[in-house]
Amino acid sequence: MAAVVSPIIELQNVTKVYSTEAGDFNALNGINLRVDEGEFLGIVGKSGAGKSTLLNMITGVDHLTHGEVIVRGNGEDISVHKLDEDALALWRGQTLGIIFQSFQLLPMLTLIENVMMPIDLCGAYRARPSRERAMELLSLVELEDHASKLPAYISGGQQQRVAIARALANDPPILVADEPTGSLDSVTADHIFDVFEHLVDERGKTIVMVTHDNSLGPRFTRHVQIADGELTDLTGPAQKPRKHALSHRAAKSQRSFGERTQSAAEAKVEGKRMK
Amino acid sequence: MTTPHSTPETDSIKVASSHPDDMIRLHGVVKTYKNAAGEFKVLKGLDLTIRRGEFVAIVGKSGSGKSTLLNMITGIDHPTGGQVVVNGTDIYSITESQRSLWRGRNLGIVFQFFQLLPMLTLLENVMLPMDYVDLYDFDERPARAMELLEMVGLKEQAHKLPLAVSTGQQQMTAIARALATDAPLLVADEPTGNLDSKTANHMIDVFDQLVRRGKTIVMVTHDPSLASRISRTIIIADGELIDETVVKALPLLRHRHMLEITKKARQVTVQPGEVILDCGQPVDNLYMIASGSVDVMLADGKHGKLLAHLKAGELFGEIELLRGGKAIASVRAGHHHPVELLTFPREDFLRIIEESPITAEALGKIVQDRLEEHRVKSREEREERRKM
Amino acid sequence: MSKPNHLFSILYSQNPMKPRWRKVFLDLIENKARTLLVVLSIAVGVFSIGVISGAYVIISNDMSASYAANNPANIELRMADFNDDVLTSVRNMPGIANAEGRRVFSIRARPVNSTTWTMIDLVALNDFAANKVDLLTPVAGNGDPARRQVILEKDALKNLNVSVGDQLEFELPDGTTKTMPVVGIVQDPTTGAGDFLAPPFGYISMNTLENLQQPDLYNRIYATVSSGQDDAVHISNVAGDVKDRLVRSGIPVNRTRTSKTHEHPLASTVNAILGILLALGILIVFLSSSLIANTLNALLNQHLRYIGVMKLVGGRNRQILIMYLALIVSFGVLALLIAVPLGGQAAYGLAAFIASELRFNLLGYRLVPIAFAIQIAIGILVPLVAGLVPVMNGSKVTVLKAISGDLARAEGRPLHRGPKRESAWEKFQTRVTVALSHRGIHIPRPLLISLRNTFRRRGRLMLTLFTLTMGGAIFIAVFNVRVTLHDYIGAIGNYFKADVELDFTQPYRTHEIQQYAMQIPGVQRVEGWQGLSADLLYPNGSTIDTINIVAPPANSAMVQPILVSGRWIEASDERKLTISESVLPYYPDLKPGDFLPLKINGRTEQWQVVGIFQFVGQEGILGYAPLEYVEQANDLANQSTSFHIETVRHDRAYQNQMADTLDKYFRTHGFNVLQSQAGLASLDNASQSLDTLVTFLLIMALLTATVGSMGLAGTMGMNVLERTREIGIMRAIGAVDGIIMRTVIAEGMVIGLISFGLAIILSVPFTYLLSYIVSLAVFETPIQTVFTITGYLIWLTLILIMSAVASILPARNAARLTIREVLAYE
Repeated sequence: MAAVVSPIIELQNVTKVYSTEAGDFNALNGINLRVDEGEFLGIVGKSGAGKSTLLNMITGVDHLTHGEVIVRGNGEDISVHKLDEDALALWRGQTLGIIFQSFQLLPMLTLIENVMMPIDLCGAYRARPSRERAMELLSLVELEDHASKLPAYISGGQQQRVAIARALANDPPILVADEPTGSLDSVTADHIFDVFEHLVDERGKTIVMVTHDNSLGPRFTRHVQIADGELTDLTGPAQKPRKHALSHRAAKSQRSFGERTQSAAEAKVEGKRMK
Repeated sequence: MTTPHSTPETDSIKVASSHPDDMIRLHGVVKTYKNAAGEFKVLKGLDLTIRRGEFVAIVGKSGSGKSTLLNMITGIDHPTGGQVVVNGTDIYSITESQRSLWRGRNLGIVFQFFQLLPMLTLLENVMLPMDYVDLYDFDERPARAMELLEMVGLKEQAHKLPLAVSTGQQQMTAIARALATDAPLLVADEPTGNLDSKTANHMIDVFDQLVRRGKTIVMVTHDPSLASRISRTIIIADGELIDETVVKALPLLRHRHMLEITKKARQVTVQPGEVILDCGQPVDNLYMIASGSVDVMLADGKHGKLLAHLKAGELFGEIELLRGGKAIASVRAGHHHPVELLTFPREDFLRIIEESPITAEALGKIVQDRLEEHRVKSREEREERRKM
Repeated sequence: MSKPNHLFSILYSQNPMKPRWRKVFLDLIENKARTLLVVLSIAVGVFSIGVISGAYVIISNDMSASYAANNPANIELRMADFNDDVLTSVRNMPGIANAEGRRVFSIRARPVNSTTWTMIDLVALNDFAANKVDLLTPVAGNGDPARRQVILEKDALKNLNVSVGDQLEFELPDGTTKTMPVVGIVQDPTTGAGDFLAPPFGYISMNTLENLQQPDLYNRIYATVSSGQDDAVHISNVAGDVKDRLVRSGIPVNRTRTSKTHEHPLASTVNAILGILLALGILIVFLSSSLIANTLNALLNQHLRYIGVMKLVGGRNRQILIMYLALIVSFGVLALLIAVPLGGQAAYGLAAFIASELRFNLLGYRLVPIAFAIQIAIGILVPLVAGLVPVMNGSKVTVLKAISGDLARAEGRPLHRGPKRESAWEKFQTRVTVALSHRGIHIPRPLLISLRNTFRRRGRLMLTLFTLTMGGAIFIAVFNVRVTLHDYIGAIGNYFKADVELDFTQPYRTHEIQQYAMQIPGVQRVEGWQGLSADLLYPNGSTIDTINIVAPPANSAMVQPILVSGRWIEASDERKLTISESVLPYYPDLKPGDFLPLKINGRTEQWQVVGIFQFVGQEGILGYAPLEYVEQANDLANQSTSFHIETVRHDRAYQNQMADTLDKYFRTHGFNVLQSQAGLASLDNASQSLDTLVTFLLIMALLTATVGSMGLAGTMGMNVLERTREIGIMRAIGAVDGIIMRTVIAEGMVIGLISFGLAIILSVPFTYLLSYIVSLAVFETPIQTVFTITGYLIWLTLILIMSAVASILPARNAARLTIREVLAYE
């Protein structure tokens, strides 16, 4: 086990109990989880297994009942559950990029404005540079030509790529994704994975992704199963060497390229910049 | 029955002349969404027939087009091309408002999120469709609604509001509501999506009961465990239907691969009694039986001992493909009916199997079983010969 | 969703607005109907406040300034005829700065070629050039008429359609006519300023009098005081002193009237009316603020998910609060852009209208800074205050709650939540329905949906009902007040029930007049009336005011008093009178049987009060005493100058006809007729000016109703928007367009009808309050409140139409939604 790698996210004995009239319901049951820097971790489970709740614990969106969540953001350890709403919002804006199944772009703003929003709210860049940075991020996801379109006028896959660009706006070390490919067809979903892999391999991001799709397992550097609020199939960190994962994925993206050419709509914007 | 390979052009002209046994008939249904980024074909020319009294599951991943397909059947969405005939009505030749009325009388819809009207009690929710389509006497409606609630076990809760009952009970109410106008067709979109497995099973029991009473049920689900309880499964992947033979023969494959097989497989018809594979002959294809049956014989196809009788949905040729050998037995079409076969080329099959460890494992098991049987039967035959 | 707009991209490329401000901007223009609704509702309130406060400032300043600029008389004395010697003596009396003598008399005039006579008051001045008191302001032509020339007051042009140079025909006491040219138009803001109902004026020089068969003598004095022009007590003392001196030297004074220099006699009345309008304006602001609160609540609900997303990408509470506050301020600014210019114009327009009605000049067009400041404060602050609670709640919402719709979908939301308990209200609703159905009353489900939907958003319903109910109650109250005022005018008519009033310039024997009059077919009864002018004194002997004692025959049927206490006059009464309530401010404890000190012809007498009646009348104190006593006191037994005639029919046309007939008849028989008037002629004027007031009230009521219906439209729009999914379900289970529209419209109608019910109740106190304020302002006495069904019926019709109209648009939108769109809302 590589002791030099420090955990960027650490969950200790995290429990979440929902009280209902019918009685208490344990959504999470003493979860222990360590995520190392540079991992692409998949949390796989059926609906109702507690995977989104687990994600909400990491992002501080929901409050835990017991336990501890520590995230090492920009050099300091933060006990997420101890921050208040406002501090959380700021911390989240700077430390985490969040990606949803349903994209959650603000429909009234253009793509580039959506990407600029986190910069604006967290005040990391001034107006001019923030526009340039947003443009860079859009070109990273190959959407620079669409920068001044509204979200409704691009495809779902493209919207999700914008959401990724937005998640990267404040250059956070961690990305958190909740079923990011859940609303996309398989070809488009593949492409989203390509983007994630690029971010992990080339930009050193750590990504935690939740999905119900078992078959996605091999695409993560590591994946854990969650069922009934407990982690099963929990192997140590870095269970697959990253090199291997990379070559595996490289092979994969080669193939998906072939398929991609079949998709006329997506074809022209695909694949130039990802390599 | 799906007919993915040959669609006679003339068929599309027929409108209400579909077979009286057909409840749903889709003809070359195309759905394209346009936006600034281009066009997306969500449905790429579907043909589908569902008979009266069938209980059909439509399975597909999110984004596969299954909800769009369902919306075509319910008249909720408009196809870009093609025709949809449901219960004898070409539903896209009438106006939206007429379609509402038609829908009320001809189909009951059950949604994933129950979709009860929150301001009405369960009983009132069930009565509502009768009010809307003006079926049954006004004074008769409460009694009928109560009967339906009793059927789904909710008589006691009849005067409660939806929020005051459990989600399972809400979904049961939704089913009762879907039955209110005694529509012949019931369409359910992920009806168990938010239910625990016990409630979900109970619901399928209710559905089974309804099918026995002659209703046709089409249900969209992504839960494979439910699909197993349903007589017919239609898989949709990337806007196309997967050949049902492929689904039956190789159920564990990824939808992407199933679709590839559907597209690349060739259809072959073999006359009764004709030999398909001779023992010792090299095998270059995987064979899947679409209809009819075949006999597997030891040694030569005319006189060998009957090794196995394979029916629709089963496959053969896998042993030879996986082990790279020549045919170890002969295969002959059954004596009474012609056999429809799908053949799939060796190289593609091997590639797909390599990518699909679960299927490889399952096939390996079949191969082992069949080889074992082959060995047993061969020994028997050798012994018989020796005795002769 | 708006189309990608060229304009936006220009805006966007040239102005690198920060995304959050872009979002505020786009929120503003995204839903134009909603923005329009909010902006207009703020604008209506700001506008009405602006108009009224602006007009208030202009009028309160200009009305008195214009009045003072014409050097108004502080004392007006109406006297018997007198000459220059008397005038000179008055000029020399202590405390008098300036005094002018004038002769004022009524005469009928018409433009040549016209057939309609108009009664005007002609004022004869000695020297127009030396005019010092009650100045005339030239408007057109010559301000100094020579002999046999006449100039007219601007207002007279409303009745007489003439211009400078035209000839005017006058009817002389002997029945002949005289024609004189109109040589000028003047404005006279002071003469008759205190009287809503003053007749039109014309002016001649004294040497024209003989041409009109009038004596060359004065009958009025207009005087200013030398000090304390704005001290009512001082002026009153000087006036009393002057009057005493005149009476002592044998010159009877019929009536004195005092007023301050720098205060228009009607200022307090006008201010009171503007005060009522202002109160209504403030109410409109309140109502529109409830509409704003409603809209913002709905907007924040719709934006919950966006707020969640913004928080997830780093937005803090304060940032989001400020974004939405900025949105509210933008609504306010847009409203101000509409309302401030319009309000400024309309304020001046209203002021000008009132000025022309009351015959004074505005000091010129101008904008009122203080009114603008008030408008801006209201336009910004009221929406902020109204929106603060929803915006604070919205921006404080936790991320989990804000995006729970989304996350719950992935995570099987219902698993975490068991069944909830039905609220008491929900239980009540369902139980009532069940109970009704047990009694065989089955409400069809579609209607049930409308009914229960009505009560789903109870906060919103309350605000909508509040707005609609207030609008309705005021609307109804205004109609009631209108009827109350007319009823009161009608009550005044009870004191003047004669069909024709025939006045002569000299007394005639009653018997003689009766005999002549009865010759005319249609005349039923003729009474000769007399009168006494007296001064009402305080117990210490100082003068309170003039009291006019009218003396009809004790058994006269032509006066039907409304007695408050005591009894009516009897023929045997001596030094006894019934007196109007207007005496009560001076003698609050006055009861029948008490004695009042009166000064009659310079002698102080004790008169016993036998009854107190409700009145009626614009000014002063009125008393009735029997003719039987007064004719002896006047030493005019069986004679009279004023005859009250009853005819067989009492309609206006017949009265007019009879008045003309009697006029001609008596003139041809050589009687000196002053005028012959249809009985209710004076009341027409009163009704007209009251209707002007009522019109203003009605406009305000309509504004409140407008805000109310905007509120309803907004509510219905929001309801439909929030229930889009439910509408989709209804469609999915067979509801056709018509049913969905009916469901929505029925809900609007239910809200409308509930508000009507509440308005009926609330209109009662409103009517009392409003008629109390108005009657105090106009009649200076509270009057009997009367209710009318008209307002209720009109409002019911209006509310039904408004609720239908307010819900039709949302209903049509609802019906147009396809199910796919609807279910895509998930």
